Amino acid sequence: MDWTALGLSLRLGLVTVALLLPLSFLLARWLAFGRFHGRGFVEALVALPLILPPTVVGFYLLVAFGRGSPVGAAFEALFGQPLVFSFEGLVLASLLVNLPFAVQPMQNALAAIPQNVRDAARCCGLSPLQAIRKVELPLALPGIATAAVLTFAHTLGEFGVVLMVGGSIPGETRTISIAIYDRVQAFDEPAAGAMALVLLVTAVAALAITNTLARRAGKRD
Amino acid sequence: MTRRRIVLARVLACAVLPMAAVSLEARGANAQPATPGSTKTPLVAAASDLQFALDEIVARFHSDTGITPRVTYGSSGNFARQIEQGAPFELFLSADEAYVDRLTARGLTQGKGALYGVGRIVLFVPHGSPLEPDPGLRNLAARLASGESGRLAIANPEHAPYGRAAEQALRSLGVWEAVQPKLLLGENVAQAAQFASSGNADGGIIAYSLALAPALRERGTFALLPDTLHAPLRQRMVLLQRASPAAASFYDYLRAPASRAILSQYGFVLPED
Amino acid sequence: MNPGTGLQVRLRRAVPFALDVELEAPAGSITALFGPSGSGKSTVLRAIAGLQSMDVARITCGGATWADTAAGVAIPPHRRPVGFVFQDYALFPHLTVREQLALSLGHRPAAERPARIDSLLQLVQLQELVDRRPAALSGGQQQRAALARALARDPAVLLLDEPFAAVDWALRESLRRELVRLQRALSLTVVLVTHDFEDVAKLASHLVVLEGGAVTASGSVETLTGRNAVPGVSGWREPAVALDARVEAHESERQLTVIAAGDLRLEVPAIAAPVGAPVRIQLAAGDVILASRRPEGLSLHNVVEAEVLAIEPAAHAALRLVHLRVGATRVLSLVTADAERKLDLAPGKPVLALVKAVSIEAFA
Repeated sequence: MDWTALGLSLRLGLVTVALLLPLSFLLARWLAFGRFHGRGFVEALVALPLILPPTVVGFYLLVAFGRGSPVGAAFEALFGQPLVFSFEGLVLASLLVNLPFAVQPMQNALAAIPQNVRDAARCCGLSPLQAIRKVELPLALPGIATAAVLTFAHTLGEFGVVLMVGGSIPGETRTISIAIYDRVQAFDEPAAGAMALVLLVTAVAALAITNTLARRAGKRD
Repeated sequence: MTRRRIVLARVLACAVLPMAAVSLEARGANAQPATPGSTKTPLVAAASDLQFALDEIVARFHSDTGITPRVTYGSSGNFARQIEQGAPFELFLSADEAYVDRLTARGLTQGKGALYGVGRIVLFVPHGSPLEPDPGLRNLAARLASGESGRLAIANPEHAPYGRAAEQALRSLGVWEAVQPKLLLGENVAQAAQFASSGNADGGIIAYSLALAPALRERGTFALLPDTLHAPLRQRMVLLQRASPAAASFYDYLRAPASRAILSQYGFVLPED
Repeated sequence: MNPGTGLQVRLRRAVPFALDVELEAPAGSITALFGPSGSGKSTVLRAIAGLQSMDVARITCGGATWADTAAGVAIPPHRRPVGFVFQDYALFPHLTVREQLALSLGHRPAAERPARIDSLLQLVQLQELVDRRPAALSGGQQQRAALARALARDPAVLLLDEPFAAVDWALRESLRRELVRLQRALSLTVVLVTHDFEDVAKLASHLVVLEGGAVTASGSVETLTGRNAVPGVSGWREPAVALDARVEAHESERQLTVIAAGDLRLEVPAIAAPVGAPVRIQLAAGDVILASRRPEGLSLHNVVEAEVLAIEPAAHAALRLVHLRVGATRVLSLVTADAERKLDLAPGKPVLALVKAVSIEAFA
């Protein structure tokens, strides 16, 4: 059992959720309530990581953030280390790859709020920000919770992108899924098995929680 | 807050807080600061054929000095590419010196490094396999011709030196064309060994050092292939630009007699320098 | 709640459908915005609340300007003193009645809010249900909660979007009564969107008719119905006059109530409203019989002297709609063409209008 790798994965999951949730909420809101022409296109972009093989995503991330790219070069100039092969690079990759898992449940939850209820909030004297805080957020809470759980679980399981963008640097980018891969190659089946079990239990728990949340949301309406 | 929400908040806290604690602690224990050159855990990239040999040397180094190098195993070509892209490795042990030379040419290394061994390849055959461990691969050729042959695992010749050597050997013995459709390509030679020993393949051409390891020893038998069949696997290690003093001391330790003895045990032919 | 000049609205929009509306809702009265589905009435209501943007808009209320595209003024909905009751009530599913009201009282200091909530609940009679969520309320209760929430805003204008559409007939009557009661008690200025003319006839004192995004008629309900001049209604609904009346006296032994609508005095079956209370009555043209001389031996109670003003063709070829006046009050009568000949009806001719007490629909 590679505790460092597990800790790294948990940290990556938590950081990803913490950063992604607010950003995705705004995006989900925009998609749920906005009426603009490119909406379908934006939704397709958001859904892209669901369909693209992780290696494709990893490849384009390397192109976009590797040493040779403007972003990568700027990062390296600022922080003295490259963006790829670092935890920060993993976070960036994780944010992009988890976008659909975060946006879609929240978008669905927000879109389910009747337009009239949102209008009523404004007519009750609530400013747009107050309306978000007191009406939209509480009503969309199951969707937000689902987004958080799915993002976390998915981040834990991410392999292809992490390997390509992060390498397998112990303590920095060797997440638990990479560690399993590593232990298998080292013919250390017991360790691989133990870590695989942890991921399996996490996945099952995540699904159970999201299903419960979905049912509760359905019941409330 | 309603009762239900209080309960929910508590459940989430019970789940989240321990996880946060574990992850923060793990980070603290193995902190790699933004600027490399950490004092206690130098980062090492090592070819997969060193999987078992280097683990032993690292353990000894730790008990001798208290320093624990963090080793990542993989294919040499992959590492070279990653280092070019800025991967923060401090020491690189390559199964093919050509990759080291490439990095040196780009000014990414401290000097030209040192030869640490010459690798050999073997035909590994797991127990119960119909394939016979023959250094001339005649049995393989026959089975290919008759169509009975199962899969053969090798490392990917594109970026793994052992894969390239395997290909050269297969070509030299005239079976490369015939074996093409049966090949199982491993990411690196350790994965090839994994495939070879798993029972899903008839066998594989892998590193001698891996075949000698206890983990593989008990899974099958092997035949050492003559080194005339392929270009020599001259294995070179080098310190990279960002190497810390700890990495440098490990580098020196690797060239000491004790380490060389271990390498020799694992079938590496030592260069006489 | 507000004195002043009432609500003045001017709206124009081209896309997605054309809208060109100018209307006025007098202060302290109920104005009905009437029209078929798709005529734009909900859009107008939403624009008044600030929920809809227009190409051209000028909305003023009691002297304050809420919107003026020419001057670049557009006060957002949460800063307009409006209360809005939505068609499906739009109560917040996650809040209790008390919490819904509290949310609407943001403009009042926190110390005042509990007392205000209590008085609102009393007003709509929801005191026992204060800690329930909308899912645990019946349709009528939800409507009252939505009303209370709208009133919590201390609105200058109360906007209602088809408030009785989702409710069954029996409940509708009692909700109508409640609305009238509240409006009178608080002197509210109310704009009511409806496609049900019953709402207009029973509740509104002013009417704006909307068809295809344009105003086709506007004026007092009494005047428009009295002249059978409500577009979209006069064609198919049996002509009926809606009049504002007052209870003059109760004749308890005869179990009748005398009401006076302008110059028209009528006896109706006893109604439970005190003397002096306002009553809205509807007089269907088909229930008004004309006579050239006073009849005898009939069960009739109401025999009124009237004068023929005009005779126009009615929906059916053999029928005629006769416009009458009783003093200044207008009444309609539907007769056959044969009757017109029989009685020799012509403008200026005095006749007697006979109305069964039972036929008069009184709404108090």
